[in-house]
Amino acid sequence: MTDAAHLRPKMIGASVPRTEDARLLTGRGAFVDDRKLPDALHVAFVRSIHPHARIRAIDATRALAAPGVAAVYTAADLEDVVPPIRATSRMSGYYATPILPLALGKVRYVGEPVVAILAESRYLAEDALELVEIDYEALPMAIDPETAARPDAPLLHEAAGTNILLTREFKRGDAEGDIAMAPVRVKGRFRMRRRTPAAIEVRACAADYDAGRDALTLYAATQIPGILRDALAQIFDLPGHRLRVVAPDVGGGFGGKASLYPEEILTCLAARQLGRAVKWTGDRVEDLTATSQAFDEIIDAELAVDSQGRVLGLTADAIGDVGAYSIYPWTAALEPVQVVSFLPGPYRVPSYRGRVRAVATPKAPTGPYRGVGRPVSTFVIERLMDMAAREIGIDPLEIRRRNLVADDEFPYKVASGLVWDKSGFHACLEQACAAIGYDALRARQAEARAAGRWFGIGIASYAELTGIGSRISAAPGMPINTGTETASIRIDSTGAVTAAFGVAAHGQGLETTLAQVVAEHLGARLADIRIVQGDSDAVGGGTGTYASRSTVLAGGAAIRAADGLREKVLQVASHLLEAAPRDLVAADGRVTVVGTDRSVTFREVARAVYAEMGRLPPEAREELAVTRNYDPILGTTSCATHIAALEIDPQTYIVRIERYVVAEDCGRIINPLIVDGQVHGGVAQGIGAALYEEVIHDENGQILTGSFVDYVVPAAGDIPPIEVVHVESMSPTTLGGFRGMGEGGTIGAPAAIANAVADALAPLGVDVFELPVTPARLFRLIANAQARS
Amino acid sequence: MKPPPFDYVVADSVEAAVALLGQSAGEAKIIAGGQSLVPMLNFRLLRPALLVDINAIAALSFVEDAGHEIRIGALTRHRQLETSPVIATHLPVIAEAMGHVAHLAIRNRGTIGGSLSHADPAAELPMLALLLDARLEIASGGGRRDVAAGDFFRGALSVALDDGELLTEIRIPKLPAATGWGFAEVARRHGDFALAAIATTLTVADGTAVDARIAMTGVADRPLRATVAERLLLGQAVTADLLERVAAVARESVTPGSDVHASADYRRHLVGVLVRRAMDEAWRRAQRGAA
Ligand SMILES: Cc1cc2nc3c(=O)[nH]c(=O)nc-3n(C[C@H](O)[C@H](O)[C@H](O)COP(=O)(O)OP(=O)(O)OC[C@H]3O[C@@H](n4cnc5c(N)ncnc54)[C@H](O)[C@@H]3O)c2cc1C
Repeated sequence: MTDAAHLRPKMIGASVPRTEDARLLTGRGAFVDDRKLPDALHVAFVRSIHPHARIRAIDATRALAAPGVAAVYTAADLEDVVPPIRATSRMSGYYATPILPLALGKVRYVGEPVVAILAESRYLAEDALELVEIDYEALPMAIDPETAARPDAPLLHEAAGTNILLTREFKRGDAEGDIAMAPVRVKGRFRMRRRTPAAIEVRACAADYDAGRDALTLYAATQIPGILRDALAQIFDLPGHRLRVVAPDVGGGFGGKASLYPEEILTCLAARQLGRAVKWTGDRVEDLTATSQAFDEIIDAELAVDSQGRVLGLTADAIGDVGAYSIYPWTAALEPVQVVSFLPGPYRVPSYRGRVRAVATPKAPTGPYRGVGRPVSTFVIERLMDMAAREIGIDPLEIRRRNLVADDEFPYKVASGLVWDKSGFHACLEQACAAIGYDALRARQAEARAAGRWFGIGIASYAELTGIGSRISAAPGMPINTGTETASIRIDSTGAVTAAFGVAAHGQGLETTLAQVVAEHLGARLADIRIVQGDSDAVGGGTGTYASRSTVLAGGAAIRAADGLREKVLQVASHLLEAAPRDLVAADGRVTVVGTDRSVTFREVARAVYAEMGRLPPEAREELAVTRNYDPILGTTSCATHIAALEIDPQTYIVRIERYVVAEDCGRIINPLIVDGQVHGGVAQGIGAALYEEVIHDENGQILTGSFVDYVVPAAGDIPPIEVVHVESMSPTTLGGFRGMGEGGTIGAPAAIANAVADALAPLGVDVFELPVTPARLFRLIANAQARS
Repeated sequence: MKPPPFDYVVADSVEAAVALLGQSAGEAKIIAGGQSLVPMLNFRLLRPALLVDINAIAALSFVEDAGHEIRIGALTRHRQLETSPVIATHLPVIAEAMGHVAHLAIRNRGTIGGSLSHADPAAELPMLALLLDARLEIASGGGRRDVAAGDFFRGALSVALDDGELLTEIRIPKLPAATGWGFAEVARRHGDFALAAIATTLTVADGTAVDARIAMTGVADRPLRATVAERLLLGQAVTADLLERVAAVARESVTPGSDVHASADYRRHLVGVLVRRAMDEAWRRAQRGAA
């Protein structure tokens, strides 16, 4: 090691302020809607007012004649132009619903696009919407998933022959038998209500058409520009170099921008057919009714433990209400299957049987949502753990100590087949307890109880699989590969570094963290590095950012590409410095001969390669560029323990969270500031799931939460200070030792709060089986308990 | 969520505003802070042909101590009420309640005239107008009239204003000495419309109540006074037992609705809890004032 390398501050691990923030916080970000496309037409959609109805006739003649209207589309106009696309999978018995941009023949949820109107402005388009006449014949429907799962239920997709789009089962040992013989059993019917991502920026897209090349550029508020490019290229039968998808600055996604949407297909189609730019900026009503939703599961689960609280067996039967369509590309399996595959959690569960049915109902499709499946599975298993602890009279902390997979048991194969690599399960539990002062908190609780106050403490431990490689798929045989990422790094003739990836940040700060990784491994200066992402043209094939993959996969690819490029730089420098490459070191944008003060800058190296004739032998003039892929094959485990302390007003039932601690292991940390921010945001969303957020449909299938008056997200004032403890254990399975950490906050918080609420109400004999636990629900639970006693 | 087309005129005086309203045969709407009107336009729940903007009428924005009463111009912003020294001195219950109305950005725009005219069934200001026996001054092409708050609110989003009428001023009698007040609210989040809110005043002489008022919002289609419960307090010293009875009577007097935020039963329960809290506060303050 040289002096320079010793003195150089480490980039990986540094709390570098986010480089994207200067532009985002001063209003200089450029989101899709900021993109001014001259002469663009604006789209507005007539959306279904029925949950399930046959479309008898559509009369759009008056709309077409309205001021400023350029075109009107119905499904009939698309029949030979836009083939349906399906989220295929090899899962047995799975039905992949056809997905079309506009409803054909039937509508299947309130908010489904039926007619598209293109006009000179969105105002004129909305005026014309009112002139479209649709003759509907309302059809019978089952809005409740259990009713929809019955054999006699009205069918949403006749071709499927059932509303059950898929069934899966995971099994190890004889769980039923083990439970039957066990001394202690706890069970419940758990319900996690439907929610919606509610990103600040609503979905939007704008298609720019280049008639000269018959080429389309789609600017989209999306997490998955690569997946969109491939899907749209398939639909329109275009080569990739004539179809580019760009995700510019994107204001949050949380999974809601991680699927292909009808609006994106329609916008591209119209731009091509009309030869004009076409723009659709959704509004909040469209976002709350027609963006992919989440959760919505009913789980009957039973846990058996021995007299010491050690888990003997676990069973679960889950119904996932997946809404009207199997979303592309993830399939309807995504959320419900992960609920049952993750249900055993970070615990030693000798026998397990988990079964899930994904049931179609006339609601907006569910899709990925921060934490996918695990917020729900964690809620269920963590509640069961607390119930079992109470049953045998031990502390919730103690039952976790006895059941968490121990450090010497890794890698541990979970009952559902997943594998946990070495991760800080116990360390997180102990450090969270230390940070919150667990024993003192229990003492305080005893005092509060004695004074008639409702004070509760809730623990939730969980493990998740992140940075998932190509061996594991959300749905076997789905139409994309989520397990590989590309880094393409180039030094140009000015010495500037451009690193391109297939990821698509939408708030995560990847422009900063990936630059940190590149800077460290290439030996470049942070200021000289530009990260290009969110653009299907950036690399040959990419997908985007979702599933806590980007740091692990793009970080790994960045390491490989940057290491390769550093070798190239050293090769050139060895000519310039007349020293062997092994005697050279690259740091801070400069190559130095070890032990001397002789050095060249990256800029000089670049000029020698590109601009200075005769400075290098011809064979040394290779472009300073390296592209490498990275595939972590399986992925890596992330884990955390959350502890919440809260108090419930015994008269109004308003919950006030007093303390919130997270101890998390996300492996080697690239930027602690960003990790803290991700944890804070995730916990805020988990608090939403626990106490506030719920998409509500009435019995007629109408959605009652179509605005922020009725869909309640927590505001800044509702979020307590969150203390974060980092348990940094290098991942043994990933390049760089990174683990994914974008979702964990949302996974742990609902369970921790549910446990804390149940703990506060334990003296009343009230348990929590349903989230969100709103004040009105608490009122009912308590009233019922009082009526019983 | 774009409004249907409309014309837009800025009125620079009350006379100009009522003239424009008078000419438009019920097709015009006043826009004040726009915080309730604009969402309704964007949802296309309203389709006025003309918006008459009264924001330039400086004469409608004031808080004035007029001796026996406080006069408030209809265009006075929520934030002005929240921070006005006159309000803090004479009608502190208003200042307190305004902290619960929406968020700062909205309070900077929203006006008292807009809130009263809009008459959201869970809004605070209509309840306060009812609590404080406010009189509302109304102008039209035909002249001026005034109406008591108790006669103004007719139902959800429905008030005693005819087409062509403009609310210009709110007059609130000062409270007698030795009057305490209380305010208590439950909302899903801070700044949300109330699931239920209660405002009270209590005037005490020689240790017993000589005047008691309880106003409620969020529990009916309009703000209500709990008159039977109020009467229980007269001539009494307030005790925990009495508060309990007052709360129970108030609770039984309402038949709230259910919605996605709260069930009817929960809202009724809250009325009892909040009446007890708000009247207890009023009693404590009244005693401090009397001392
Ligand atoms: C997110 C949000 C949260 C809110 N939370 C609360 C809350 O917790 N509590 C609460 O009370 N309010 C709340 N509000 C409403 C807010 O207080 C509004 O400002 C108020 O209801 C209307 O006042 P405005 O001046 O904006 O009226 P505008 O929106 O301009 O007008 C409302 C109606 O009153 C009519 N009008 C206005 N002025 C006059 C006048 N002088 N004479 C005759 N008619 C008139 C208009 O024609 C229109 O019909 C909230 C609003 C928002 C957007």
